[in-house]
Amino acid sequence: MNYGHPLEFGTFVTPGNAPPHDPVALAKRSEELGFDLVTFQDHPYLPAFHEMWTLLSWVAGQTSRIRLAPNVINVPMRTPSVLARAAASLDLLSGGRLDLGLGAGAYREAAAAMGATVLPPRESVDALSEAIDIIRALHDVSSGRPARAGGTHHRIVGAQPGPAPAHHVPIWLGALKPRMLRLTGEKADGWLPSFRNVGRDGLVAGNKVIDEAAVAVGREPSDIRRLLNISGTFSATSSGFLQGPPSQWVDELLPLILEDGVGTLILATDSPAIMETFASEVIPALRAAAPAPTTFKPSGVRAKRRPGIGYDELPASLASAAVEPGDVEYPLVRSNYMRGGSPGLVLRPSTDAEVADAVAFAARHRHLPFGVRSGGHGVSGRSTNDGGIVLDLGRFKDFEVLDTAKRLVRVGAGMRWMEVAAALEPHGWALTSGDYGGVGVGGLATAGGIGFLGRKHGLTLDHIRAATVVLADGTIVRASPEEHPDLFWALRGAGANVGVVTSFDFQVPEVGDVGWAQFVLDASDTAQMLVKYGAAVEAAPRDVTPFLLMGAPQPGQPHFAQVMAMVDSGDPEKIIADLTPIASVSALYDQNVVIAPYAAVIANASSEPHRGQGEPISRSGFVRHLTPEVAAAIARLLGSGATPFFQIRAVGGAISDVADEDTAYAHRSANFQITALGRNRQRLDAVWDREMYGVTEGLYLSFETDPRPDRLTDAFPPATLSRLRTIKAAYDPTNLFRDNFNIAPSESAA
Amino acid sequence: MTDYGQDLLFGTFITPSARPVQKAVELAVAADEYGLDLATFQDHPYQPSFHDTWTLMSYVASRTTRIKVAGNVLNLPLREPALLARAAASLDLLSGGRVELGLGSGAFWDGIAAMGGRRLTAGQAVDALAEGIEVIRSVWDTSSPGGVHVRGTYYTVDGAKRGPAPAHDIGIWVGAYKPRMLRLTGRLADGWLPSLSYLPGGPSDLTEMNAHLDGAAEAAGRSPSDIRRFLNLNGSFSAESRGFLDGPPDQWAEELAGLTLEYGITGFILAADSPAAIELFAKEIAPATRELVAAERS
Ligand SMILES: Cc1cc2nc3c(=O)[nH]c(=O)nc-3n(C[C@H](O)[C@H](O)[C@H](O)COP(=O)(O)OP(=O)(O)OC[C@H]3O[C@@H](n4cnc5c(N)ncnc54)[C@H](O)[C@@H]3O)c2cc1C
Repeated sequence: MNYGHPLEFGTFVTPGNAPPHDPVALAKRSEELGFDLVTFQDHPYLPAFHEMWTLLSWVAGQTSRIRLAPNVINVPMRTPSVLARAAASLDLLSGGRLDLGLGAGAYREAAAAMGATVLPPRESVDALSEAIDIIRALHDVSSGRPARAGGTHHRIVGAQPGPAPAHHVPIWLGALKPRMLRLTGEKADGWLPSFRNVGRDGLVAGNKVIDEAAVAVGREPSDIRRLLNISGTFSATSSGFLQGPPSQWVDELLPLILEDGVGTLILATDSPAIMETFASEVIPALRAAAPAPTTFKPSGVRAKRRPGIGYDELPASLASAAVEPGDVEYPLVRSNYMRGGSPGLVLRPSTDAEVADAVAFAARHRHLPFGVRSGGHGVSGRSTNDGGIVLDLGRFKDFEVLDTAKRLVRVGAGMRWMEVAAALEPHGWALTSGDYGGVGVGGLATAGGIGFLGRKHGLTLDHIRAATVVLADGTIVRASPEEHPDLFWALRGAGANVGVVTSFDFQVPEVGDVGWAQFVLDASDTAQMLVKYGAAVEAAPRDVTPFLLMGAPQPGQPHFAQVMAMVDSGDPEKIIADLTPIASVSALYDQNVVIAPYAAVIANASSEPHRGQGEPISRSGFVRHLTPEVAAAIARLLGSGATPFFQIRAVGGAISDVADEDTAYAHRSANFQITALGRNRQRLDAVWDREMYGVTEGLYLSFETDPRPDRLTDAFPPATLSRLRTIKAAYDPTNLFRDNFNIAPSESAA
Repeated sequence: MTDYGQDLLFGTFITPSARPVQKAVELAVAADEYGLDLATFQDHPYQPSFHDTWTLMSYVASRTTRIKVAGNVLNLPLREPALLARAAASLDLLSGGRVELGLGSGAFWDGIAAMGGRRLTAGQAVDALAEGIEVIRSVWDTSSPGGVHVRGTYYTVDGAKRGPAPAHDIGIWVGAYKPRMLRLTGRLADGWLPSLSYLPGGPSDLTEMNAHLDGAAEAAGRSPSDIRRFLNLNGSFSAESRGFLDGPPDQWAEELAGLTLEYGITGFILAADSPAAIELFAKEIAPATRELVAAERS
């Protein structure tokens, strides 16, 4: 019997506290030797031992790769709810390296002397079962609702689940007797006996009970990993089980793996020499003789799989970090900031080669939606979806200064703009992005980047000097004015159509402290205020970039506009002088001006996982000036109540210094970009089409969600679109990249 | 004027947020590098957006070299005292004597009950804390013969072995405001850990609270100076003075020195989740305060 689990090897180290660092050193040695996990026993009543959880947490801080597990926790001595949160924390802090071995408690008198409630054996199994339910309930954040679990011995009543651990923390039970074995089959992820206590016969018998119990509750025997604590010594000649040369160990252990389905062997020793011999002579021989798969998903996870996805064909490079609907991390990765999602598979590569593997995998699933996600703030792009594949670049977080004199930096596509700002700030540099620090680098830099330093320094994409791109056929290329110049042109404005950018090289300007102003203007005469505002903004020095925000007028309340403006200057007098004309266009209700680093202004987002729901509804357009005609149209749009959130972002200035044909972003002559968010698509579209469409020229694709095909020609003027179609045909002829303002490849060129 | 003459300690009060996962750790590492004495963390095991405080403290101690770690304060109702004593001793041994034990009697009883903890009245919780302290001290005390025998109303630890002894004499600091808790602190604790923001009358409330502590200490045959007085601080740094603990560093130093000389506060713990604030506190305010206090005392 073999359950198909990948083979793993661990050590079982005595947690002695004198000298205190001995077990720590053995744990580090285990990591160096390539063991998969290090485990410690838990006997809180023994003063000669470290308190296990403290030791485990300490070891987590001293290691980086090896997994950590109690072997096994004395559950009666701990409060299961607190243990659950501690486990989630340790899993998070260690980067998903915790496995949880649990036991119903031994040494009952010693435990009772410590104040623990000690139950008769039968009830202690029930108590353990309740503890498992409590841990699982507190680790499951999917419902977002308070949890109840347990009842007789342990309970939670309305405790809020969380934090979610970094991965599904498997629960292994140290079971010997039939009731515990049945519980293992019913609820656990693993069985963890010691060979010394079970022997070969006990393994066979225990497996049988577990398998039957699992099947009886609709699980599969393979849902339960079989682990085994073993011990022995190496010697030239044999003197008993695991007492002899390494070859004897291999011969004795192999049947346990092949016939009894043991997937994890845990070596109990405090001798570095035994660890070394085992690692260098026994493990390789066992691996060679017992080939096993690299990943494994239990039946409960497999039951939630979506149709049409070759989950089991995922390459090993992607499998371990991939998230599917049954995984615990799924609630944290399914949705975007403004959009709910239920993808069938989220791939989280961390190297360019893995991105290429992910693209190849997506190409084999042409029948499914495919989204490319960096920061998950897409309004237009479907970077999450229903039942499809999401390629998530969230792990591309590297930041590197390439050339200090030229101020050239390399930025991973998965960084957030507030992280980029924080990394640039110590150098006295800043890169304009947008108004929200949570937005991702990948989506914004491939579409535009209309930010608070725009009039002074241009669009974000105007600073791109080169990029690393994974193409639809899986090749990894550099795009720059010299290498793949067509691709380089296209990815600055229509990047979502031509490839997956993994990193950008930006040349960034020197930016010291900036003036940051927020003020509220009277807008009772909306149209008149806007005309004056527009003129004041256009007349202002390029150092000033203001964004104006309005909502629908509320009956009985004054209508007002909120302005957020940045001035690229740390001089208070200049800041006031530059802003005064804009703040004077109508009555000023409230104002606040500070001088701060750009990074501090943009550090305005939380790093909570996205929990968006539904679909965003948004329209966008550019105008050259806020003419009386435009302003009147805006006033009617706002008056209709169809847009509770309306913004005018100032563009122009340095953005207009670049020619329309130089990048795929082609709306260079506009001075204002207008966005209206709605609650109801039909209602917003009706008013926008009637009032705004005629007075705007083109749109910013990042703020447009209207699915009608004409929007593509609004996003890209004819010459741009035609060049994009040709480039698309060359770089993505099968149209794999299609989640955001999709451009069909031109047929003539294909 | 009550100055108990102890040297000054400066620390941070870091929110143990679970996201970003390493944020609290990074702040503690920064505090360590900038030379603060203490990294402290609140403990609310029913709060799902926080890390488990004991796990976080252990991990932080593992990632730092000099700074001490402490709960501010640990939730005793959800942490069994005998096990907590062993855990603290372990961490003290592993960290080379860098653990102190901030303890609280519990406040949010709905949260505690939701986690399966027992609901106590405020008065019961004070008694339970006193028993808990006795258990903890007995476990650490390896010089007395026999096992631990505490048979209390709330905790019974009867026959457990003593030990291990921690690497140093771990201080027990209690978060206390009301007279009963203050008297318990004066009687049993090594430190007192209130928060300025919870004092309705501001610093001047400290006078009466100190009197409770001092009276209880003396009644128990201890000296008032056996109890170090900490204060959790909230404030802001700004170029011009805008109020108490809201102004430039030299104003802070003067006001903190005033707290030492008038109210005997010798542990200042700043609620700060930004490296810049921690740096300012460690590098400018702490030395300036120490200087002012030394000058006054000499
Ligand atoms: C609150 C908020 C404020 C905003 N403010 C501004 C603003 O002030 N100025 C502004 O210009 N924009 C702004 N935006 C729009 C924002 O720039 C876009 O939505 C952008 O696409 C988000 O990037 P992302 O990586 O976070 O999004 P994602 O959802 O991850 O990606 C969006 C789309 O970009 C494409 N994409 C993502 N990553 C890559 C990549 N690495 N390679 C190729 N294509 C990729 C995909 O097609 C995807 O569908 C804002 C959005 C929000 C939600």
